[in-house]
Amino acid sequence: MRISKGALLVVVALLVPFVVEFRTALSWFGIKLTILESLALAGVLVIGLLLWAVWPENGNGGTGTADSS
Amino acid sequence: MNIHTYEKVWLVAAMVLIVGFIATITYGAVGPGIAMIDDEGGDINPDEINDDERFAEPGVEHVGGNEYEVAVVAQAWSYTPSQIEVPANSEVTFYVTSRDVTHSFSVVGTNVNTMVIPGQVSEMTVKFDEPGEYGILCNEYCGEYHHTMEGKLNVVPEDEFDMTELSVEADDEVESGNETTITANVENGMQEDLETTVSLEIGDETREEAVTVPGDGSEEVAFTVDSADLGEGDHDWTVTVDDYEESGTLSVVTPDGNESADGGDGDA
Amino acid sequence: MATSPPTEVTAMRNAYVDQFPDEARVIKAAFWSSFIALAIGGTLGLVQALHRTDVFRFIQSPDYYTVLTAHGVLLAITFTIFFLVGTFTWAVTTSLDRGVVDVRFTWAWYIMMVIGTVLVAIAIFSGFLESAPSVLGSELNADVLFTFYAPLEAHPIFYIGLVLFVVGSWLAGVDWFRTWLAWRSENPDERIPLPTFMVLTTTLFWYICTFGVALSILVFLLPWSLGITESVNPLLTRTLFWYFGHAVVYFWLMPAYMMWYIMLPKFSGGKLFSDPLARVVFVLFLLLSTPLGIHHQYLDPGIAEGYKFIAMTNTMFLLLPSLLTAFTVVASMEHGARQRGGEGYLGWLKALPWRNPIFTGMALAGLMFAAAGFSGMINAGMNINYLVHNTWWVVGHFHLTVGTAVALTFMAASYWFIPQLTGKELWNRSVALGQVLLWFIGMTFMSNAMHRSGLFGMPRRTAEPQYQGFDFEPAVGTVGEINMQVALGGVILTLSLALFLLNMIMTSIGDDSESIPDNTYAGTLSGAEDSPRILDNLKLWTAIAVVLVIIAYTLPLASIIDAGGLFGPGIEGVRLSTWVDPAVIESLGEVIR
Repeated sequence: MRISKGALLVVVALLVPFVVEFRTALSWFGIKLTILESLALAGVLVIGLLLWAVWPENGNGGTGTADSS
Repeated sequence: MNIHTYEKVWLVAAMVLIVGFIATITYGAVGPGIAMIDDEGGDINPDEINDDERFAEPGVEHVGGNEYEVAVVAQAWSYTPSQIEVPANSEVTFYVTSRDVTHSFSVVGTNVNTMVIPGQVSEMTVKFDEPGEYGILCNEYCGEYHHTMEGKLNVVPEDEFDMTELSVEADDEVESGNETTITANVENGMQEDLETTVSLEIGDETREEAVTVPGDGSEEVAFTVDSADLGEGDHDWTVTVDDYEESGTLSVVTPDGNESADGGDGDA
Repeated sequence: MATSPPTEVTAMRNAYVDQFPDEARVIKAAFWSSFIALAIGGTLGLVQALHRTDVFRFIQSPDYYTVLTAHGVLLAITFTIFFLVGTFTWAVTTSLDRGVVDVRFTWAWYIMMVIGTVLVAIAIFSGFLESAPSVLGSELNADVLFTFYAPLEAHPIFYIGLVLFVVGSWLAGVDWFRTWLAWRSENPDERIPLPTFMVLTTTLFWYICTFGVALSILVFLLPWSLGITESVNPLLTRTLFWYFGHAVVYFWLMPAYMMWYIMLPKFSGGKLFSDPLARVVFVLFLLLSTPLGIHHQYLDPGIAEGYKFIAMTNTMFLLLPSLLTAFTVVASMEHGARQRGGEGYLGWLKALPWRNPIFTGMALAGLMFAAAGFSGMINAGMNINYLVHNTWWVVGHFHLTVGTAVALTFMAASYWFIPQLTGKELWNRSVALGQVLLWFIGMTFMSNAMHRSGLFGMPRRTAEPQYQGFDFEPAVGTVGEINMQVALGGVILTLSLALFLLNMIMTSIGDDSESIPDNTYAGTLSGAEDSPRILDNLKLWTAIAVVLVIIAYTLPLASIIDAGGLFGPGIEGVRLSTWVDPAVIESLGEVIR
């Protein structure tokens, strides 16, 4: 794990305002996402984030740095 | 006092931001001239609204040129008038007051928005460049049916706008052989004179009369109708001035007994 | 004073309840009063979210306004201020390391506030009854919303209850001041400890601002509702309300600020960056909280533009303490993270204790407050405000401030306070972490949609914002989609609220635990010795604050009284539920449709 589980959960939560606002911001450029597309985008981001989080750092196995107190 | 360097930088940046905000707002007020609602509208006793020069007959008034004034009375839960029509490319000053509790007068999706407080008159001047249709709503809680309080503002193209009002006086019945008069009264709410044509259609006949209605005045046009031309029976008529129409029906009846001329007063 | 990890069992437990058992009982009572208000008020919030958006309507629309009044009063006044008095009593006793002078006095003001709340609640909830009982010669009713603008008139017990509640809070201030004075006579040369300094400055501006609303109620509204005076000047009582109405938002924000200053650095694993700057921030709030209330009246007739400009300038300068707070809080968090081994420009963020619901709740609340700051700047902008005034935008804004910055900080702080006050361990930390995250997510959905709908003119305080003559035109998305977003947010928030209350109840009925951390707050990197002594001169700051208020308010009040008279031009009360004849409503409805 590159970040603690707690931090990962918080980052996932932070994705929510990001996706919601991103959708509004995109419409300024004429790109209008439907709710389903936004959900899909959120899903991709969450999966990407999970993959990044569990991917071993520098090639060697997970050296959990942050503690989780 | 010991202040960290980063903290000093932050402090200066914060002050720049604050002064910047105040500067843009000041610029907005003196540059493009975005005026606030202020105490210009004066005060009014809510019990005396009906006797007030401006609010006794609320509605649109032409001041001159492209300037208009609109007086609106708000009360739970309606506006008088509820439909407002002004031309595009105009400068409209709204005067709004309340008969009872605090309301607002808010033109949806625009910055035309004011509180309406009993005892006070809200005055604001708005430029309407383009035609459009806007909703008006009350956004201050004013009682149980607050959510039903709404109105409409139509900004119509300049050439479609006028303040002409047409009313017609006519008898319903005329005895065969008599004459009657159909009188059109044309009111002109604009300050400039109105040159137009009043026309009457009755039976197969169309009659027209050119008329000049003075600014902020009215003019009467009387058409004399001879029942003999029409013959007995019901005859529909229509008076038209510009886009305004009034219609009715005139019945030509057989005189009963020896009575004469009680239907019309026609001796034109 | 570093944190002691909760897993480490200290030899002798030294929680607040061990240090001050008597005070702990009062504070616990205040917190529970606050939680009850939160539970009722929050549930009513869900009713509104579903009703307005036409997702699910089970009450009549006229009753919506009774629900709204209860929601506003219970959450903005009862929930926040009961939590505040609890927190402040904790802060004073903890930082002075002594109990209150007389705990019976403490109980007295608490009970007074409870009686006030009960009276107000009776008046408001009678709005649901078809024919409410008559008391003092008139029917119980208070469908006047949190702002009680005259000539909407509530039953006298609504005003009496408010007065009792406010006087109770005044006495609480007396309690804190006399405890501090007792401490000072024992420690004549010491600086005021930071938490006590925060309490005292906040209490001072509370005295200044509540003077306005007390005047409004005692001189104008209460005699008028009792029929002693005949008429009111609506603009005058409204101006007096807002004289209080903006400072009150800082009043409930200050305990959250205090938590961010003295608790958040501790939970981050470090110390507060700067004690002197913290004092400067609270002095600025004392000076500027009141002379800006007119910024709520940018759209009011009868107030000259110049006075609005003064209020706007003061408002903008009040951004300064909040911007300074943002710096200090983030810097303190970074310091804590680096103490915990965090590295890099942003990498230190990973080292923060995200698993801890107290830390995460407060950090997310602070983040939401930053967003709220931006929408607040729009509100403060005199001219752009015309676009959003009284729209749902404003509701979105204050659900980020009081609804998140304050409420979420309070909930996160409760996870620390309740174990301190009861000696019982928090029931479930994972549920608590989930709860604060859900609040954040729910509020994101709800507040985003509210802000957006305000931009296309959707009004606030409206049971059915569905009009006959026109449709709203959102710049992005549809009205239906925005409504669904609000409803979804409301449901998530209610779920989060339920989890919070569950955790509080389960903790309270749990067993005593020996593993409660010591009752401490954060130390400082740059301490009180660095701050000039003049900062502690409360008399000086109070005098300047009063002068600023006089400058900002004398002329507007004088011109309002000059124009409309002290008691207005014969404006009688309007009691909505007794005033309207149902037949009139019917015919009006017909006309409108």
